[in-house]
Order: sequence, then C-alpha cells, then structure tokens
Amino acid sequence: MQLSGGRKQMTDNLYTPFLEATRNVFQLMLDLSDVAESPAEAFKCDDEVDVSIGVTGDLVGEVIYRFPRETSLNMVKIMSGMEIESVDDFVTSAISEIANIISGNVLTMLAGEDMKCDILPPVLKKSDDSREYAIRTACCISTSAGNVCLDIRLNHAK
Amino acid sequence: MLWKDKYELGVPLIDTQHRELFQRVDAFLQTLRESSSWEEKVQRVNETLEFMNGYVVEHFHDEEIYQKKIGYPGYEAHRKIHAEMVRYVLQVTAEYKQKGFDQQLMQQFAGKLLAWLINHVAAEDQRIAAYAIERGAEADD
Repeated sequence: MQLSGGRKQMTDNLYTPFLEATRNVFQLMLDLSDVAESPAEAFKCDDEVDVSIGVTGDLVGEVIYRFPRETSLNMVKIMSGMEIESVDDFVTSAISEIANIISGNVLTMLAGEDMKCDILPPVLKKSDDSREYAIRTACCISTSAGNVCLDIRLNHAK
Repeated sequence: MLWKDKYELGVPLIDTQHRELFQRVDAFLQTLRESSSWEEKVQRVNETLEFMNGYVVEHFHDEEIYQKKIGYPGYEAHRKIHAEMVRYVLQVTAEYKQKGFDQQLMQQFAGKLLAWLINHVAAEDQRIAAYAIERGAEADD
C-alpha cells in the first residue's frame, strides 16, 4: 500500500502521537506537568499492570500500556483523592480507562492524517511476543507519579 | 474530594450539575471503598447507584439542550459520547442486579466511571466552554 507523505511520516513515527496524547491526558486528568521521555531500556519492572488496546482499521495490532504497580496506585490516588493500597479491580479498571482515553486521542490525531483506525475495549494481559509487527516501538515516559511504557505493535492493513 | 475548580465551564446550570455529579460519584466511591464488609455496605451502594443513574441521564439531557441552544458544532459527537456512557451504565446496572449485586463488577464500574468522568469534564466539556466564550466574543464584536 502506497502511503501519502503525511500518513507515512505519521506511521514512521507513531511514537510522537502516543507521547503527545499521553502528555495531554496526564496533564488534564492527573495535573502532571512533568511528563518526560525516558529511554525504553531504562524501563524495568517486574510488578506491573499490562493493559492491551487492540487496534483495527488502516493499522492492525495492539498497544500494550505497562503501568508499574506504584504508578497505577499513584494515578488512582490522584484521581480519587483516596488512599489506595493494592492493585484491585477498581484500580485496574481506572487504569484501563486511561489507556483507552490516550488511545482514543491518538486515533483522533491519526484521523487528521486520513488514517482511519478504531480501538477495541481494554484487556488486561501480558504481551505476546510470538507475532511479528512492521511497526514496533516503545514510548516510555517518566512522571512524578511514576513511569509508564507504551509498547506499540502494529501492521499496515492489507 | 474529586471536584476541581478548573472543571468549571462558566455556565451556572452545567457547573452546578457537574459539582453535584462529582459529589455523588465521590460518595459512591467512598461507600464502595470503605473497609466494612460487602454485606454491610451493599444497600447503600445500591441506593447511591440508583440515584446516580437517574442523575447522569438528567445532566446529560440538560447539557445537550445547552449545546443546542448555543449552536455547539460538536453537538452530535458529544451526544453520541453521552449515549454510549448511558448505555454502558444501564448495561452494567442490569448485569449487577442479574448477578445478585456482584462486588467485583461494581468495583470495575467505579474505576471506569472515575476516569471517564474526569476526562469527560476536564477535556470534552471544556470544548463547549471554549466555543461559548468564542461565540460570546464574536457577538461582542
């Protein structure tokens, strides 16, 4: 499939819309203005909430949002104003909705470049490394609420 | 306290309803998350849920009337977002009753509701305010 200039640039660098959307959502919803890029290699976490958002349309695949336990708890604390001590159904559901909102914002940016995509409801799951993707990049950020890493795994629709 | 002053749109009716909605969701979360047993709090959770369901529909309706009144260009898209949320709330409430007041389902519902409401009021609804201000400025010209 031949892509137009803007679309090609957008898919070559999907990192940028995901970073921008995450920054906007964190600023608006969590009042976090210290969102900074961090190298993917530096993101190491054994205890995390993995939220997968399936993508369909001109791009097909998934984006896995990796929220370390502490980040998840901090984010929900900021939103609810309540002390939260463990990652339970309430926390994973709130975090999943944030992943859903960020992904929805990215779709709006892609639509601006005439790329039509849709997203599937969030699913809690570990990443499946058995599949190959034409677009494979990680967008990791650090904030005062903790780190987050977005694992982008997409193919162009045939 | 969930409410923040930055959520204000400058439209008294909508701001009052938003404050009320946030207070209701706050009360719902406080009850749901308190350390007492599920048996002890389920009745209060159900009462708050029932009231909130009615209030969400009423607020969305009033907000849509306001959008129409000012000729908000994003009215149709915004109405769809409201309709999807109402559908989700009704579907979860029905499933919750059918499952005999399942706690896990209610915790999941509360988590999504919290994040959805904050984003909706902090982002989507602010666009209505921005349009109303712009329109007001134009009218003054």
